[in-house]
Amino acid sequence: MAVFVFIEHREGKLMDISFEALSAAQKLNDEVIAVLSGENVGDLAEKVVKYADKVIVVDDPKIDTNNEAYTRVLDELIKKEMPKVVIMGHTSMGMDIAPAVAIDLGLPIATDVVKISKDGNIKVTRSIHNGKVLADYYLKDAETYIITIRTGEFSAEELSEKNGKIERVDSPLKEEITNKKFVGFVQPEVGGVDITQADILVSVGRGIKDKENIPLVEELAKIMGGVLSCSRPIVDYGWLPKERQVGTSGKTVKPKLYLALGISGAFQHVAGMKGANMIVAVNKDPKAPIFSVAQYGIVDDVLKVIPALTQKIKEIKG
Amino acid sequence: MMEVEETNFDELYEVYACMQCGKCTGSCAVSLRSDFNIRELMRIAILGNNEDVKEHEEIWDCTSCGICTVRCPRDLKPSEVIVGLRSILVEEGEVPSTIRDALESIGNNNNPWGRPKSKRADWMKDLDVEVKNLSEGDEAEYLLYIGCTASYDTRIQKVSRAAVHVLTKLGVDFGVLGEEEPCCGSEARMMGESGLFEMLVEDNMNLFKDFGISKIITLSPHAYNTFTTDYKDYKKRLEEEGIEIPNLELDVKHYTQFLAELIEEGRLTSDMMNEFNKTVVYHDPCYLGKRNNIFKPPRKVLSIIPGINLVEFERREDRSLCCEGAGGRMWSEGTGTGERNAVIRVRDANTLNAEIITVACPFCLSTLEDGRSTAGYEESMEVKDIFEILDEVLK
Ligand SMILES: Cc1cc2nc3c(=O)[nH]c(=O)nc-3n(C[C@H](O)[C@H](O)[C@H](O)COP(=O)(O)OP(=O)(O)OC[C@H]3O[C@@H](n4cnc5c(N)ncnc54)[C@H](O)[C@@H]3O)c2cc1C
Ligand code: SF4
Ligand code: SF4
Repeated sequence: MAVFVFIEHREGKLMDISFEALSAAQKLNDEVIAVLSGENVGDLAEKVVKYADKVIVVDDPKIDTNNEAYTRVLDELIKKEMPKVVIMGHTSMGMDIAPAVAIDLGLPIATDVVKISKDGNIKVTRSIHNGKVLADYYLKDAETYIITIRTGEFSAEELSEKNGKIERVDSPLKEEITNKKFVGFVQPEVGGVDITQADILVSVGRGIKDKENIPLVEELAKIMGGVLSCSRPIVDYGWLPKERQVGTSGKTVKPKLYLALGISGAFQHVAGMKGANMIVAVNKDPKAPIFSVAQYGIVDDVLKVIPALTQKIKEIKG
Repeated sequence: MMEVEETNFDELYEVYACMQCGKCTGSCAVSLRSDFNIRELMRIAILGNNEDVKEHEEIWDCTSCGICTVRCPRDLKPSEVIVGLRSILVEEGEVPSTIRDALESIGNNNNPWGRPKSKRADWMKDLDVEVKNLSEGDEAEYLLYIGCTASYDTRIQKVSRAAVHVLTKLGVDFGVLGEEEPCCGSEARMMGESGLFEMLVEDNMNLFKDFGISKIITLSPHAYNTFTTDYKDYKKRLEEEGIEIPNLELDVKHYTQFLAELIEEGRLTSDMMNEFNKTVVYHDPCYLGKRNNIFKPPRKVLSIIPGINLVEFERREDRSLCCEGAGGRMWSEGTGTGERNAVIRVRDANTLNAEIITVACPFCLSTLEDGRSTAGYEESMEVKDIFEILDEVLK
């Protein structure tokens, strides 16, 4: 019995979700077969095979970032290999491809799954009612199941190495896809986020020390379901765009939770976030003014607290 | 056809006399770091087309430092033309949201910081000396006018407390207004809200009369400037509209002027102070220097401190580099990019080996302290108000 993992990549880079999907597949203790299709994807296979028993590589310029093409290729491979489960991300790409494959082949599908286990049948867990309820589902008997997983729920850190083999196959795509065309990538404007609308704001100040630490905070924000904001110096340094600035010359915010990381609590900053329902501050200086407006405080190095928090929340979320 | 609304700026500011020489732009503190071009805006004022005005969001960049007005060879007031252009935008509601909030807050809470009136006296909570409150029946010779920023900003509140300590030690008969202290309105006027400013002039003149106030010492050069100049102009204006304003001859001094007078009278001397062995550079605030030619009093006060090593910026007095703190810029970042003037300023201070940049304005304190941290001089340099240094050295 095999588990297919659909590998997402973009502009020559593997997407994080691909590793999360591999991690989800490994949990089923079956043969993990990664499907890597696209144009000039050969090089990526080396990185994928590390965590798979086999990588099926379909290198075809006709696939070219076209979800319709990916779907047809996947259809053919499933028909040929008959995997028990096909796992892919619940991303815009996965949401496009997974249901199409399910319809094409008449297979059952479970979407936006946060946990997969084998309990006789395949059992999936979905988070419903805005995260208030976790519901378990057993999938109907079928040859193959299609599953999309929620991002950030399966940790790539738990991957074990498999170092399997790479198998190149001819593209099953016979002709160009004409009903759908890839036009180009449009980068979202980084400023396109409205921090005034967020329920949870994870906000950084100068205490974060280095631009290189921003991704740490981004990860924390993501796992908390929050949005990243900041104090003015972070904008001055060019680490985050102006739209993320909280304060009297930035945005006034009223989130349910405001997590202030390495922010001293200058008047101009505090005036912009005082209205938050709950303020939690992390600062190494116990005398920092931010503690006078915070309901909860941690006196410690943010660079220690951020990864610990991320880890803890991951654990709690299971 | 669409009607193009026009404003006759020549009636208000004689803009037709502008010869487009560009001296104003050459002097402008903001042009250093943004596309803001005051000469170009003068031309827009000459043409008087309100639609054109709306396309220039950089109108909010002006810090109202006033140097363009000092330098204009035709004796025009470009910095006032900006106020006029802004008032068109205010009337049309084309205002950055942070500026709108600040103006609304002045109207609702009597301060631009969005803070309740009931918290205005919070700066006095940690005071260890008694201070008279002129709104509660106490009588004193002087009102110490604190101002909005020094009342609410937790950093600047320390300056207010230092001021009370120093004036008390010097035996000055003064009091404050506590929660009843109003906004002076200077920033409201500079942001183009002249209607709101008129209201404040009327209310405040009545309030000063009711509490028997005629002599005022201000912490902020902005309050000083507006009480001594704009209040007089607007009183006339309001009276022409038939609104009666109390006939008060206000005697207003910035605190550095007041202290310099005490030195003249022998009431403040070096003997009263401990040694202060620090290298200190004084930053001239625009509203004291460029706008009011008050250069000597703050220097006089600093110079009598025993042991002080007073150094000077190359760009000082009427050439002082504006810190970008006024003209509404507390609530608007402006369109400028690159290093802030405040950062440039602290770097200049660093080349002078200054351990302290001293200021006599709450806005300068905010901007320079922020610039000091941005430039990475937290360990080696402090930013302090002159009152804070005095509070430290007075025995
Ligand atoms: C006109 C004007 C407008 C302004 N408008 C705004 C505004 O809208 N918004 C705004 O945010 N600011 C504004 N400011 C700037 C404001 O005055 C402060 O300078 C700024 O908010 C300070 O940002 P910060 O707290 O990130 O940095 P800092 O004040 O430098 O504080 C950094 C904090 O991080 C802590 N820290 C350092 N290292 C660590 C570590 N390893 N672990 C934990 N803690 C650590 C320190 O103890 C310190 O408390 C404005 C200033 C001016 C002059
Ligand atoms: S300096 Fe005076 S005359 Fe010259 S362009 Fe500016 S406003 Fe006009
Ligand atoms: S007042 Fe200062 S900032 Fe404004 S236009 Fe004149 S020189 Fe420039």
